[in-house]
Amino acid sequence: MSTSSNPNLRIFYGILVANLVSIVLVGAGKYLVTYLEGNETGNSSGIFIFSSFVIVPMIMGAISAWYWHPLQMKTRAYIGWSAISTLVACAASFIFLKEGVICLLIVSPLILVFIVTGALLARMLFNRKNNTLNSSLAGLVLVVLLADTFSSHKNVQLVSDTMIVNAPIEKVWPYVVEYEPITLKENYWLFQIGMPSPVQSTVDGHEAGAGRKCIFSNGYVFDEKMIVYKPNEELTFDILTQPHDPEIMGHIDILRGQFILKDNGDGTTTVIGNSWYKLYVFPGWYFNLWSESITRNVHLRVMEHIKILSEQGV
Amino acid sequence: MFDWVVKYLGFLKHVPVLPHVFDALLKLTSLLTNKNLPDYIDEIETEVLSWQHTHVSAHKYGGLQFNINTTELGHIHGNGLLDILLNREQKFLLMKQYPVQDHHIFKNSGWISFWIKTMEDKQTAVALLRYVYDLKIPSPDLRPRRVKDLETL
Repeated sequence: MSTSSNPNLRIFYGILVANLVSIVLVGAGKYLVTYLEGNETGNSSGIFIFSSFVIVPMIMGAISAWYWHPLQMKTRAYIGWSAISTLVACAASFIFLKEGVICLLIVSPLILVFIVTGALLARMLFNRKNNTLNSSLAGLVLVVLLADTFSSHKNVQLVSDTMIVNAPIEKVWPYVVEYEPITLKENYWLFQIGMPSPVQSTVDGHEAGAGRKCIFSNGYVFDEKMIVYKPNEELTFDILTQPHDPEIMGHIDILRGQFILKDNGDGTTTVIGNSWYKLYVFPGWYFNLWSESITRNVHLRVMEHIKILSEQGV
Repeated sequence: MFDWVVKYLGFLKHVPVLPHVFDALLKLTSLLTNKNLPDYIDEIETEVLSWQHTHVSAHKYGGLQFNINTTELGHIHGNGLLDILLNREQKFLLMKQYPVQDHHIFKNSGWISFWIKTMEDKQTAVALLRYVYDLKIPSPDLRPRRVKDLETL
């Protein structure tokens, strides 16, 4: 039975071929960009460029529409089968790329929207049989794909949070340096569904150059080195090694952390928490939303713990 | 949400493909809020394409555009908002008879907007598009239904 006469086969091939092409394009893009960026890739598991999550899904949608358009399917069916294609892409990433479930949860809306966009746009173009327009668009997509691949990919961001602690600065400082395990209930939804959250911090000594460990749930440890140690004032530490967990880790490097303490003169202390991170996944405007939210909630969980410990007995 | 995006992020409509991404997002959310809406839009498309000399294209700012030869009849955004360009006289005539509104952006123009949410809205949308089709179809002998369609609604 030929593909053209069997609607189910057309739908199946639309999903299968789209996903096979995406594996080739994303894989080739990842290895090429990682090679081109060289040492800039740091501890990451490779760089996933803007095209991997925007252009490639649109191409996937267009490939699916090429198989599906003779079936004259409704828009609802296009969206439904595009959602299935997104699930297949996520399952393939889980199995072959060893991506984490939360990581895929974060990226799946982006992929779905662009697959649907590609499929619906391509359906219209294929139905009109405007080969000149089709070729022009294909050329435009190719240019964007190549330009993106050979562009520089650097995305370093700072997240800063502030909290007032109702305790004098000398009571706050020891808990900024190191603290006992956090027993607060998780109140951030990504932590609740399994993303590692901060648990405890320990130090080897109380001076600049000493080691510090930040232990996350599930036992993940960030090895740190304190580079600024000014009691009651500032603690800055560089992250030396970070765990390679499939959930987010590998796509983001936490570069540096910092606590700055300010005496408010009324028995309270302002604690400022800063973190610098580097993202290896693009587009930045989308993934920064997530990484900023995650980093902020790491800050708040630690700072809330410091606040509770410091305010005890005040 | 749609109004907010149009008001504050409208300048992004000039970025290639971005309006179509936004329209796909509207279609996805429509499936969650009014699951029949994509079907209504499909049925309007099928009906309009059965008229002579019509074809559809992607609207430059996102949505499904209906054309007669090279002239636009109107377009429907993914959230069911139908926009039609008339002259001001025709616009005021329609506004007296149907729940059409000023265009969601160009209020003092000949554009009108109409929200498609129900089956009845779909039929009204078809009649509105037919009205403008009859106005814009070049051959006089293809124009008999213009007034009749509106009167029978």
